[in-house]
Amino acid sequence: MNPLILYLLLLKATITTFSGMGSLPIIRNDLVVKRHVLTDRELSAAVAAGQSTPGPIGLYVVSVGYFVAGTPGALAGCAALMTPAFLIVPMLCRLGARAEKPLVRSAVSSLTLAAAGLIVSAAVPIAREAVTGPLHAVLAIGSFLFLVSSKRDTLWVILGSAAAGLAAGLV
Amino acid sequence: MASPSLGVLTALSARVGNLTFGGGDPTMAAFQQEFVFRRKWLTREEYGLIFGLARVTPGTNLLAFCAGVGWRLLGWPGALAAVAAVTLPSAVLVVWLTFAYGELRSNLLAMAAIGGTLAAAAGLMAAGAFQLVRPHLRSRAWIRALCISGGAVLLARVFALQPIVVLGLAALVGLLWRGPEAGR
Repeated sequence: MNPLILYLLLLKATITTFSGMGSLPIIRNDLVVKRHVLTDRELSAAVAAGQSTPGPIGLYVVSVGYFVAGTPGALAGCAALMTPAFLIVPMLCRLGARAEKPLVRSAVSSLTLAAAGLIVSAAVPIAREAVTGPLHAVLAIGSFLFLVSSKRDTLWVILGSAAAGLAAGLV
Repeated sequence: MASPSLGVLTALSARVGNLTFGGGDPTMAAFQQEFVFRRKWLTREEYGLIFGLARVTPGTNLLAFCAGVGWRLLGWPGALAAVAAVTLPSAVLVVWLTFAYGELRSNLLAMAAIGGTLAAAAGLMAAGAFQLVRPHLRSRAWIRALCISGGAVLLARVFALQPIVVLGLAALVGLLWRGPEAGR
């Protein structure tokens, strides 16, 4: 895929959402469902890679870009991740006071809630692809419970599930 | 208020942004310690304004925050340097992990380990969604939160609406059905 088109598709996802993972449903719809240049398994791997590192949540977009178009794709993903951030500058110049306006805050909270719903919607087919047996089901449910009930880093979840998968593979 | 050089701002952004796990909130808290309390480059009010605006800027809040701080301190060069410093080192690591995934596909043991992480990624996504909704469930507007989130799931999965359409509808709902953050 042309890196410029990939950049525009990824930018469409990052610039229309307000959280790192919120872009996932749009990316899945464009690249997995419509254009077939990415698989659900690769998207899961991208999410895992993005969550295994420090830095901003949403780095999985870089991994998605790499899966689709190699290094130029990774650069396109990186640029799509960074571009919306600069919208804060004109906002700082002109709209500083309005950011706290009740109506704007209400619309943003509604967008965030809808993003949560869309993430759940996108997670369903990904879970179907990734959860292929009892161990994987335990890992998926255990990861969910661990993350919502503790403040520990997601890196531990990724490392722990890799170790569990490896141990099962050895047995 | 003192202002840093471009090199110092870049180095500090790279250090804090790439060594803090846990996403935007812990990293912005670490930046607050450095920028406001330790180095006194920003006042509390400036930090609060940039933090608030970063929340309503599309995309990744942490990157918008860095762009805002960099711009406030050193103009556009500061904004570009801060965002690049926070993003690029971790992005290189992500590309390496993705490359390693491709290389390890033929190794059965490696694939068993990767299979474990992929299953965890599904749980991780569900947890991410839950954590977005959870603060709203504790408020008096929990019915609104469930209706909007559940409605988004329904529109996407049952009616197969495009995510961007769902988000547009959600913004409209947010304007018409105000949450507790909008006050009375």
